[in-house]
Amino acid sequence: MSGTVLRTVPSTIASTSAGGEASGQPQVILAVVLGLLFALGTFLVLRKDVVRVVWGVTIISQAANVYLVTMGGLRGSVPILSHGGAHGAVTDPLVQALVLTAIVIGFGTTAFALVLTYRVYEEHGTIDLSEVNER
Amino acid sequence: MQPSQGVLLAVLALPFLAAAVTPLLYRVVGERVAYFAAAVAAGAFALIASQFGTHGTVSLQWIPALDVSLALYVDGLSLLLGLIVSGVGVLIFTYSGAYMHDEPGKAKYYTTLLVFMGAMLGVAFAADLLALFVFWELTSVSSFILIGHYQDQDDSQYAARKAMFITVAGGLFMLVGFLLLYTVSGDVLGEATFRLVGTEGALIENAGAMQEGLRSAGLFVPVVVLIGIGAAAKSAQVPLHIWLPNAMEAPTPVSAFLHSATMVKAGVYLVGRFRPLLGTPEWELFFATLGLLTMTVAAILAVAADDIKELLAYSTASHLGLIIAGFGLQSVYGAETGAFHILNHALFKAALFLVAGIVAHEAGTRLLSELGGLWRALPITAAVAAIAALGMAGLPPFNGFYSKELLFEATYHAAEHAGGLWWLLPAVAVFGSIFTFLYSIRFLSLFAGEKPEAIEHVHSPPMAMLAPPVLLATLAGIVGLGGVSATAGIHLGPLEHFIERVVEAVGASEPHFGYHLPTSLTPAAGMSAITIVVGAVTYPFYGRIAAGVQRLIAIDPIRPNFYYDGLVSWLDRTTIVSGTVHTGRLRTYATWFFLAVAGLAIAGYSGAGVVFPAISSLAAEPAMVIVLAVAVVAALAVTRAPSHIAGVLTLSILGFMVAIFYILASAPDLALTQLVIETLVLVLFLLILDHLPEFYGEVDRIRALRDGAVSAVVGITVFLTVLVSTAATPGKPIAQYFIERAGVPAEHGSTLLDFGGGGNIVNVILVDFRAFDTMGEISVIAMAALSVITLIAMRERGETQ
Repeated sequence: MSGTVLRTVPSTIASTSAGGEASGQPQVILAVVLGLLFALGTFLVLRKDVVRVVWGVTIISQAANVYLVTMGGLRGSVPILSHGGAHGAVTDPLVQALVLTAIVIGFGTTAFALVLTYRVYEEHGTIDLSEVNER
Repeated sequence: MQPSQGVLLAVLALPFLAAAVTPLLYRVVGERVAYFAAAVAAGAFALIASQFGTHGTVSLQWIPALDVSLALYVDGLSLLLGLIVSGVGVLIFTYSGAYMHDEPGKAKYYTTLLVFMGAMLGVAFAADLLALFVFWELTSVSSFILIGHYQDQDDSQYAARKAMFITVAGGLFMLVGFLLLYTVSGDVLGEATFRLVGTEGALIENAGAMQEGLRSAGLFVPVVVLIGIGAAAKSAQVPLHIWLPNAMEAPTPVSAFLHSATMVKAGVYLVGRFRPLLGTPEWELFFATLGLLTMTVAAILAVAADDIKELLAYSTASHLGLIIAGFGLQSVYGAETGAFHILNHALFKAALFLVAGIVAHEAGTRLLSELGGLWRALPITAAVAAIAALGMAGLPPFNGFYSKELLFEATYHAAEHAGGLWWLLPAVAVFGSIFTFLYSIRFLSLFAGEKPEAIEHVHSPPMAMLAPPVLLATLAGIVGLGGVSATAGIHLGPLEHFIERVVEAVGASEPHFGYHLPTSLTPAAGMSAITIVVGAVTYPFYGRIAAGVQRLIAIDPIRPNFYYDGLVSWLDRTTIVSGTVHTGRLRTYATWFFLAVAGLAIAGYSGAGVVFPAISSLAAEPAMVIVLAVAVVAALAVTRAPSHIAGVLTLSILGFMVAIFYILASAPDLALTQLVIETLVLVLFLLILDHLPEFYGEVDRIRALRDGAVSAVVGITVFLTVLVSTAATPGKPIAQYFIERAGVPAEHGSTLLDFGGGGNIVNVILVDFRAFDTMGEISVIAMAALSVITLIAMRERGETQ
């Protein structure tokens, strides 16, 4: 495989050279949206109710995923080769692979956090964190 | 002759491998695992013994790319320590099989003891300062676990913490000393090295140059002191001896093994090992003073002790002081004192601890004041105690006599040469030895006389508990008799030759070691005579001496424990950390965490002079704007949800909006994954919520405002971060590499693509380029699944708090 001449593949990706607002332009809309999502997630994490804390963590991890995809650039075609005319510019496949992993792991941690919540309730008879702490 | 690499590696690996299987084996064979451990120790002993007579370094490439290798060094000193560790180990494991019969936590006990043995062998054979340090600290950690064996007892916890605190802190001082040596070796030898001994570029082989280098850098005394502190902490030298008496909370076999025969010898070993490198007048002053001071102070404290294990603990510190003093003195007698006494002390002190264990086990008390007349019930034990205790007292012809004689000779020699204040050395040595004599005879007295009424029937100990001390005392007796026969001209050849090699290893050139009873009135023989006569005359006043010492040590400011406890309780009281950061409340931790991250990020931006980009246009696709707006509204709804069900449903809206966002961002794989996961999460939440109470927790206004402020700080930080990072354009994106290589090479034509090639770059990255990451991801899911099962199933098996 090494040393072979590659011809069928594109050589540019959207985030660096193509796309309307991507080149050197800050993603204002996304910055606002992500700021709000993180703020709301933070507010939830600081609640007494364990379930809300889990929600907060979920929202923050969703927002982090969106942030990663945004970093890769939003313009460009689907990163799949041999689908016709998409050879010019594709979106960054690396962040997508990263986020795909992150989504799945996020699912694992959410499931774990939920069962932990359940166990906390079983052990302490409450899901009020301030009461759990007192005992 | 060169030592064998395979054998040495096996010696190091054997205890650790055995420790790994011990918990499993314990489930199968129960407490008989003690004999398995004894067999492992015996195997290690045989392997080390097979290297007897070899000398040199073996090194094994560890991480060739970084030029890191594991080097092991064999000489007299490392063989001596290795043989003591594994040999006493065999006896201790055998003894434990009977002693630990009714005790809890046997699997943990044997595992930790095996790990300790491996670590100690590592200390003995390490030829490299870093490896030495790692094994050194490992012995501290295993000692911590073993001292705290009875986890639910406060005394045990206090003792374990104290030992850990002092020995590990001492180890860190030693590490600084090692690093200084490393730095200086760079200037002196051209290439900085951690290799202590054995090769041409090693530190000890260039001792003269290293000493000059250290002196010209002004670091010689600091290095001696730093290494001295490490050794003193480990070998319980005054004033760091305070952890050793407390360490007696451990089961008695542990005290015999770690806290008399082996672990505390690590510090002594270090002093012996560094003696050729740093042996100078400064060294002599520091270690001879430290050692003799410890020898005397600890012997005096031992006289005041009423618990036999406490007596033995102070006595151990005292004898370690004797060895340190020996290694400190620069004459060949000093080297001989240390080398010979390491062996003698291991033999008699381990035997005495095992005797103490038998007494405590069979008579039910460890207090001298309650014990007496045990010789009738425990005749063999009494004989063992007699040989060992008289050796400890330094009475001829028992083994301790000869090494003490050597110390007298060494101190006298030093005083004769230097004169002046150095005459204090022999005086202090005699003074300390008198107390040693006193407490040794006091220990022995618990077997003499009539048995007090309070002690009920004393059983004779089981064979497994009796055999080890008998063997140790026999060996001690043979060493003693060797001196008697040597007086008549028949030398104990192999032993004398072995000690000779140890003496050589600690820096004496062309040693000639032999020991025998004094045949003429040398100064040393006179000092011994004074010790014994004064000891015998003052023994009738033992009770008054002990009471006097007790009154003395009741004065707080001269007790090191006073300072230790004061320091620790002061640290406990300073609740700056525990009151504001470490409150045990999630919200406190989360608040500090969020604010710290936001603060650091902002500080980083301003420190690096990041310019926030000007916002020139808000251009965005209408579809994207709508989707994101719905997502934010959904998140807001989650925050304000009146019930759990409402919250979960709105959370799902957010999740599905994110999925649509992925579609719009040309990420179909993410969208598919997100849809599947979002559905699963929804189901999961609904399943769990069914079992949880309807609790929502009211939010009071002040708290909401405070949390709102924290959230706002986080939100603004994220906003700025996204602005900065999306505005920047990296020159060469990593993704380019994958885009170029994900597809099928041109010469394969379209065959592979048409029939299932790697067209999807994201998939190719996941299963090909970064397949290990994907495997890691799968492991995380598997771990989460296991944890979920554990959390639920173990509860159902009745395992509650």
